[in-house]
Amino acid sequence: MILHPGILALLSGSALILLMLLVAGGVALRILRHWNADSGSTTQLQLERQTWLVTTLLKYAFGFQIITLFLFLFTLDEIHPLFVGAMCATGSLNANLVGWLVLLVKIGLVFAAAFWLAVNTLDQGTEDTPLVRFKYVTLLLLIPLVALDLWLQWEYFSGLRPQMITSCCGSLFSAEGEGVISTLTGLPVEQGMSLFFAVVLLYAGLLLASLRRRAVLLRHGLFVASVLLFFVSLAALVSFLSLYIYQMPSHQCPFDMLQGHYYYIGYPIYLGLFMATLFAMLPGLCRPLVKTASLERQLESCEPVWLRLALFGLILFLVTSCWQMVFGPLILLGY
Amino acid sequence: MIFNFKLLEYSLSSLWRRKEKNIALMIVYALVIATLGSVLLLTHALKTEALMTLSAAPEIVVQRTQGGRHELIPVHYAETIAGFPGVGKVTPRVWGYYYDSLVKANLTLIGLGGYHEQLELLEGRLPQAADECVIGAGVADAFGPQIGNLLVLEDSSKRRSEFYVTGIFRSRSNLLTNDLVVLQEDALRDFFAMPDGLATDLTVQVYNSREISTIAKKIAYFLPDSRPITREELLHTYDSLFNWRSGMMLAVFVSALMAFLILAWDRATGISAEEKREIGILKALGWETSHILGAKLREALLISLSAFIAGLLLAWFHVFVLGAPLLMPLLKGWSVLFPTFDLTRGVNLYQLAVLGCVTILPYLACTVIPAWKAAGSDPDDVMRG
Amino acid sequence: MGADMDNHEPLIRIEEVSKIYHQGKPDEVRALQDISLEFFPGEVVVLTGPSGSGKSTLLALIGCMARPTQGTIYLQERRVSRLPESFLARIRRETYGFVFQQYHLLRDVSVLDNLMFPLYPAALPYKTMRERALLLLNKFDLSDRHKTNVRQLSGGEQQRVALARALMADPPIIIADEPTAHLDAELSLELLKILTELNAEGRTIIIASHDPVVYQSPLINRRIGLRHGKLVDDNNAGAGQ
Repeated sequence: MILHPGILALLSGSALILLMLLVAGGVALRILRHWNADSGSTTQLQLERQTWLVTTLLKYAFGFQIITLFLFLFTLDEIHPLFVGAMCATGSLNANLVGWLVLLVKIGLVFAAAFWLAVNTLDQGTEDTPLVRFKYVTLLLLIPLVALDLWLQWEYFSGLRPQMITSCCGSLFSAEGEGVISTLTGLPVEQGMSLFFAVVLLYAGLLLASLRRRAVLLRHGLFVASVLLFFVSLAALVSFLSLYIYQMPSHQCPFDMLQGHYYYIGYPIYLGLFMATLFAMLPGLCRPLVKTASLERQLESCEPVWLRLALFGLILFLVTSCWQMVFGPLILLGY
Repeated sequence: MIFNFKLLEYSLSSLWRRKEKNIALMIVYALVIATLGSVLLLTHALKTEALMTLSAAPEIVVQRTQGGRHELIPVHYAETIAGFPGVGKVTPRVWGYYYDSLVKANLTLIGLGGYHEQLELLEGRLPQAADECVIGAGVADAFGPQIGNLLVLEDSSKRRSEFYVTGIFRSRSNLLTNDLVVLQEDALRDFFAMPDGLATDLTVQVYNSREISTIAKKIAYFLPDSRPITREELLHTYDSLFNWRSGMMLAVFVSALMAFLILAWDRATGISAEEKREIGILKALGWETSHILGAKLREALLISLSAFIAGLLLAWFHVFVLGAPLLMPLLKGWSVLFPTFDLTRGVNLYQLAVLGCVTILPYLACTVIPAWKAAGSDPDDVMRG
Repeated sequence: MGADMDNHEPLIRIEEVSKIYHQGKPDEVRALQDISLEFFPGEVVVLTGPSGSGKSTLLALIGCMARPTQGTIYLQERRVSRLPESFLARIRRETYGFVFQQYHLLRDVSVLDNLMFPLYPAALPYKTMRERALLLLNKFDLSDRHKTNVRQLSGGEQQRVALARALMADPPIIIADEPTAHLDAELSLELLKILTELNAEGRTIIIASHDPVVYQSPLINRRIGLRHGKLVDDNNAGAGQ
């Protein structure tokens, strides 16, 4: 299976990311050992110059990681006809034990890399760069995660055997099965919807309040709300939003919407959800790091940008996912 | 926002001022992309072609095996199978391969009875007498006969047989009809010296596609020496075969890509003295390292995107207009009479994504360190230089 | 800018600054050693000394192009000697106008772009930048040449383009490194005249030069002598009066 063009692209992409992080890791080690912000020595000047290399490498790696995450989903969709019983990416993921793990690690990496870049932006925006140590220690922690991503992908793809019989969304996401996912899908639509919109309202309220007020508590609240939003939205996508998107009363799959005959609507949906979650998490996540006045100022100048991006993500997500619910002919409630 | 556009403008100007170097780089880059793109386009087109043909194929083909090898199957098996509920028509097929040492080509000879599905794709008429035949377009090209001419073949005992060509397949998808010669069934039995009551294989029509695998199991159970092959299995085999082929070739061409990247690396690291001076001046006058890096990223993106588009157009032209002359020798696999390429033109988004990932990401990664080196020059070098 | 000429707060304060290049390597160079200096608003200062005396290095440190190996530099009471590079770049483009010995124009670029490219990070609207550039070119009699490639300009014209470029961000401090090195005596005097005009607008001018036309000129109100990276002479005549 490894020789499928898409899989080759994914593996080489991940290997590339790992390589870039290893280079960055080398610099990180040197910085952790020799960094001395008060010195004007040649070494210090060189190290400061190398921080730009790390920044650039990490930015690229982050971009590549997002691209490969979507390519991964795309590939799952593309290879599903090889498996008996698979009708979409869910089937491909089920074809192998590590499938879901790969997806989880990939999503985790996107969040981790984005957090690192946010901290880096904060730090580089100050004159005294107080977060250097924190940044480079975290960077070193990212490397095993990237290696894990590559290794898991290798395991997953090399373990794939065409004609393997897998179960697809129909069985995984059906109300009759057991486990968390089935409980989710089995949830009455009305309750599910109320929960979803309650969380969206909570999130939006905290977001708008954070845009106006400086209270730290709001940021922490928003952090919690965005985590809630992420998981509740994923559940909502499976349990009832997908029904509207597919316009079918029993088709519950979070991946089919990425396919061409649904006009790739899944991509803006997930992009919006990621943005809404990520950028709303950042203010709350970065708060505990802010110990100096310079960081405080920097955070205050970054926050409005992040919050606005989160708002944009939320709108994108809501518009693309709920659009069919409002305007489509399928009616779930009232039956 | 304004600054982003300004950086882009600066990058364009910078690329333009070094156009000789950058155009050379872009041409090589585009050629690499065109090669990789051709592989992907071609295999995808072939796959679509094969799947299209196969979708008209019978749901199940039943062969007989003896001692692990393919054997002729008794025609009366058809009655047993036709008796299973859910089974439609069961047709015995007579067919075989014929190697012509003169033209050095392999033909597939098939009896008329077994070839119902594609009759509408015929130009001319079907054979009505024992000395008439219908041939595929590839056969017509290789042997030269047109409708009304004679096709001369030697049978198993080296006897000359002559057949009048009464029709030629002009299939939309000619992957499977290309090397085909259709004869009347009796004439073919004669030609292959195949006894009556036996056939090469049986095709089984199944009404409900969900029952295909159940019926296949049933056939294998009731006729233990038979080997049922379902259409699904064929589809899978084709799918993996084509993926494997394109993956193989991709792997080969990735090495070409590597070679190019080394070249690109060399070019990019060897930043000209003039460019170095320019960056130094801009830095001295207030550009930050990140600005130079941003400009360099934009340059790399401009180069890769234009090379990508150019390479893709080249690949399209190569595969769909010229018929992939450069890849043919590599892909000729199962038949010497490979279909002439009236390939279904098409690019799918997934291929573009894969091609982009394989070519653009490594290039961008390769530009990071040279760009950083260029951007890291000390602004006071300008003063002291 | 320099409306407060009578302000005796120093504009730039340099305390015990040393600069060592290639530190710890065989080709180590001690370009400056223990320099302490103050510059006041509205001064026209010349740094003199033979080549290799550390003039250019001192100018680079003053202009926030490099950071000292030791010592501290204050710009308007802001400690700039330990700022990260991106902050220094910002100070360079907002506070200083540079004129270099070799002019350092971007080759194969039009005169107008030469004025505008360095200002791109300031992210001003294109129209504003263009208007400002044309105004300055007009001031230096170059308005008909704004589309010309700088390669086709004469030495004197290039010098004036460099001056116009230095003024694009309307900086309070002008730094000029050997500005007359490639000019004949007549053009040198003309340049000095322009610099004095800029000083009259309130800008502080700091020049490094070993050209007698410059350092013996009556237009200069302070001369600082350097030798082997050390301060040898400073006729600090009452801080720019």
